[in-house]
Amino acid sequence: MSLANRMALASPQIRALCIEANEFPRLSAEFGVRGVPHTVVNRGGAFVGALPERVFVAAVLEGAGIPVEESAAPSGPSTELSG
Amino acid sequence: MGLIPEHVRAQLKARFDLRLSGPVHLTLYTRPGSSRLILPAGVGCATCEDARQMAELLRDAAPEKVTLDVVDTSRDPDRARADRVDDVPTIAVGANTEAGRIRFQGLPTGTEFPALIDAVERVSRTEHDLSAASLVELGKLTEPAEVMVFATPT
Repeated sequence: MSLANRMALASPQIRALCIEANEFPRLSAEFGVRGVPHTVVNRGGAFVGALPERVFVAAVLEGAGIPVEESAAPSGPSTELSG
Repeated sequence: MGLIPEHVRAQLKARFDLRLSGPVHLTLYTRPGSSRLILPAGVGCATCEDARQMAELLRDAAPEKVTLDVVDTSRDPDRARADRVDDVPTIAVGANTEAGRIRFQGLPTGTEFPALIDAVERVSRTEHDLSAASLVELGKLTEPAEVMVFATPT
């Protein structure tokens, strides 16, 4: 979650919202949270796991509808793109 | 006040003395409730009092740099709506008196507490530590984007 916060600090376009999943079970269910950290961009695309900065930034851009280079797109066993 | 032991307060004060430079403004969105009662969904707030204690802990650790504004969303729903706060308790962290764009919804315990401390320190120092390449990428955003991160205390 620190990475999302750092991005919000760096870009005036980003709002980072860290949610205590157990305290908001309905919201967690709505976004299909089964593991943490579970990141959701613009209440659409989601991924699970802690990603390296470059991949996290690419995932956020992708979730916001900005095309990203193939090499930066999220991949690997710890991620799960959906939405 | 039982939530936060005295030695933690002293540690936080010492840490903030070293690490804070500029101002930090916290906004706590809350609603009356009780941690001692089990309330129906949507009524009251079981963790708001603890969240208030946590926000006050941060303010009191560096009162010359950290300010705190408390918004009762049951009395001021328009403010909550304008600040795009969906639920309580929410703590927003920003550099000025506007609602910050770094937010914690729910009681930030466990892994979230260090993240909250980190957010306060980074905002104070305007220190995001992102790479130049990441900044170039983020510069492509032309519209607001929301990044929600679900976490748990363990």
